[in-house]
Amino acid sequence: MLLWVVAYSIIGAAIYLIVVLIPMPFTMISLFKLGLAPALAVIAVVGAVRGPIAGLLTGYIGEVMHALILSGGLVTATLPALAYGFMGLVVGLTPYEFARGRSLAKLSLLSIVGLMMTALLVLVIDLFVESFGTLAVIGFAFLPLVTVGLPTVALLTPLFARVLYFFTVEIRPHAIGAM
Amino acid sequence: MSSYLKTSKFFLGVLVLTVVIGGMTFGNLPGPATPMGVQTINSVTYNFADYRSLTQEQLALFNYVNTIVSSKYQGYGSWNGWYAQSPAVIGLHHYVLAFMSYATASLFDSTPGYRTDYYRGFAYDLIEKMNTTEARWTNESIEYREWTNPSYGFTQYHYPNATNSSDLYVGSFRGPANIMWTGHYALMMTLYERNFHTGNLTNEIGWFVRDWNNTLTTDGLGNLKQGGIWGVGLIPCEPYVVFVQCNSIPLYITELYDSLYGTHFMDSGMWDYGLNFINTVMQDGHDLFTDGYYVMKPLGYQFPSDGPQPTFPGPALDRIMHDGRPKVSSYCNAWSLTFLEHAQPDETTKDYPVFLDLYSKDVSADKMYMVDSYYCPSRFGTYDILGSLFTLALAKQRGDTTTRDRILNFLYSNFNKVWSADGRTMHYDTMSLEPFLQSVLAFGWIWATTPVTIRSLADARPADFWGYPYISHADDDSVWVYQAQWDPAKAGFILNIRVDHPSTLVFSNFDHVPTAYSGGAFLAQLTASGADYSMSLQPGTYNIVII
Repeated sequence: MLLWVVAYSIIGAAIYLIVVLIPMPFTMISLFKLGLAPALAVIAVVGAVRGPIAGLLTGYIGEVMHALILSGGLVTATLPALAYGFMGLVVGLTPYEFARGRSLAKLSLLSIVGLMMTALLVLVIDLFVESFGTLAVIGFAFLPLVTVGLPTVALLTPLFARVLYFFTVEIRPHAIGAM
Repeated sequence: MSSYLKTSKFFLGVLVLTVVIGGMTFGNLPGPATPMGVQTINSVTYNFADYRSLTQEQLALFNYVNTIVSSKYQGYGSWNGWYAQSPAVIGLHHYVLAFMSYATASLFDSTPGYRTDYYRGFAYDLIEKMNTTEARWTNESIEYREWTNPSYGFTQYHYPNATNSSDLYVGSFRGPANIMWTGHYALMMTLYERNFHTGNLTNEIGWFVRDWNNTLTTDGLGNLKQGGIWGVGLIPCEPYVVFVQCNSIPLYITELYDSLYGTHFMDSGMWDYGLNFINTVMQDGHDLFTDGYYVMKPLGYQFPSDGPQPTFPGPALDRIMHDGRPKVSSYCNAWSLTFLEHAQPDETTKDYPVFLDLYSKDVSADKMYMVDSYYCPSRFGTYDILGSLFTLALAKQRGDTTTRDRILNFLYSNFNKVWSADGRTMHYDTMSLEPFLQSVLAFGWIWATTPVTIRSLADARPADFWGYPYISHADDDSVWVYQAQWDPAKAGFILNIRVDHPSTLVFSNFDHVPTAYSGGAFLAQLTASGADYSMSLQPGTYNIVII
């Protein structure tokens, strides 16, 4: 069981890292950023599939690797990475049935809750640990995360989960029992 | 698969919304890489990746700034598209002109074999805009905006007593107390001569260099004096404050002037006293530069109502902490370390990691910015953005692309790219945040991403360079010149170009009938046109070697 959690976490983190490094399209509407960040949905999906610990580790490890590659070091002692992992933890707290639309809707809703908690954690870290200017935090960190993250996790998480379910039903039926 | 779709209306709805949202957002993806190949001609291999190059976006950004600079579109004292009318930014306007000039100089030097009037005319028009006088352009002149604006309140300039007309007069727009204009104006001219070799501005540049030499080595009355007129080996502005960053400009010019014209102003020690002053007196506790040192009390100076009072002469004090510590800023250090690296490379090398450690803030894995003052990192405003912008050039110069890219992500990720209908120009739309930043972010991207650094521009091109073949005329509005330079070792002209409409290029300095090759195969023999040779190209993208 633990082995599966670790395995899913590592695979999830690897997928997160690959996806997050791809430049994603976006558009600005006034000061609000609109776009999709599929990497966030990966964290939520792993949490939904494998539970809260796998979700937490996927976000944490993935974002730590992301920081190591792009900045050459750890950002704020990996606290932001913990914030991202928190979304996976929240999503993974309840079971889902990916075959049912209602369960997908529940997944979408919990992903939104998880994303908002991540955004608030990022806000707290930036304001009280890094001591950023309030304008900088809100304009460059919190707001973009919310305006891009919310449609992403609301839409892509159930989408990815459903696609994963489709492939596992066709290719790996045993995986459904393990879930 | 279709059965799965049918069983969930929610899934279908989500899929549709995803496609709709995703489809709205493709405008801001990174631009395409410049296509480069390898070709072998007569047993000589030309790898285009070995030469400097520009991207489509850099060229489109240049084309955009050209629309607000070129005299083809508006007079020198007209500022449509600059959004520099508000009191908050009007005093910063001349800096935008200056740094736009330095950024575009690096673009020109990236394709040194492409020297048509398109680039030369832009550089010249920018100088003319910088030199707009009140007599001709009244309130729209840079002279008014930078110097004579009555809201600045400084009208009398004598030394040592500002109001004593018997003392040495140090005033006027072009005078020794206005280095924050004279320095930039002269550097714009010097870079113009460095890049285009016309000789038209040499005399005026020399006048400034000699005037600064007089300021720095005499008492202004013809008597030699250590430290010059103000005794610190530096030139003030504002007035009567000396800044490291402002003085880095005339110092840089002196080096480039010596390099261009074989003079020895640097060797004469003209800047020695001043360099020692900034490296010993104008230092904070971390061996970085402080932001300002008063050489005398400016007329009308308002003493702070509480806290420690500044001394004259003495350092400018920090107005946030208000406890007597000297003022510091990231833009001061980033600017200074960039422009002083040619003169004192060891200092910049030593200071750079300390500078990053003190001033940088990690926003996320892929974003960071520079705080204005490390005394108070929780503030954020114009000077934090300024510090971040100046650090772009410094990071590039230091080869620190990680820092550069993270700051670029921070600064540019909140703005849309806006392309013109004809696809020739692009800019970042900053109207929602601050319109004044529009031109700034345009040249800022060029400043950060070209393969040429400020340090490398401080050396003149070798004398042989002016005899190399180059493109002297072209249908500039129809082409994108990504690479253009003569390789003297391989005796070939490298040209990487995209042609939108049938265009003709004219090459000068070939001493024989040149032949163009593309992909290693014969493309065309150039046609004689007087002493020059021309080549016509149909629409397409070409990696061409001309030998």
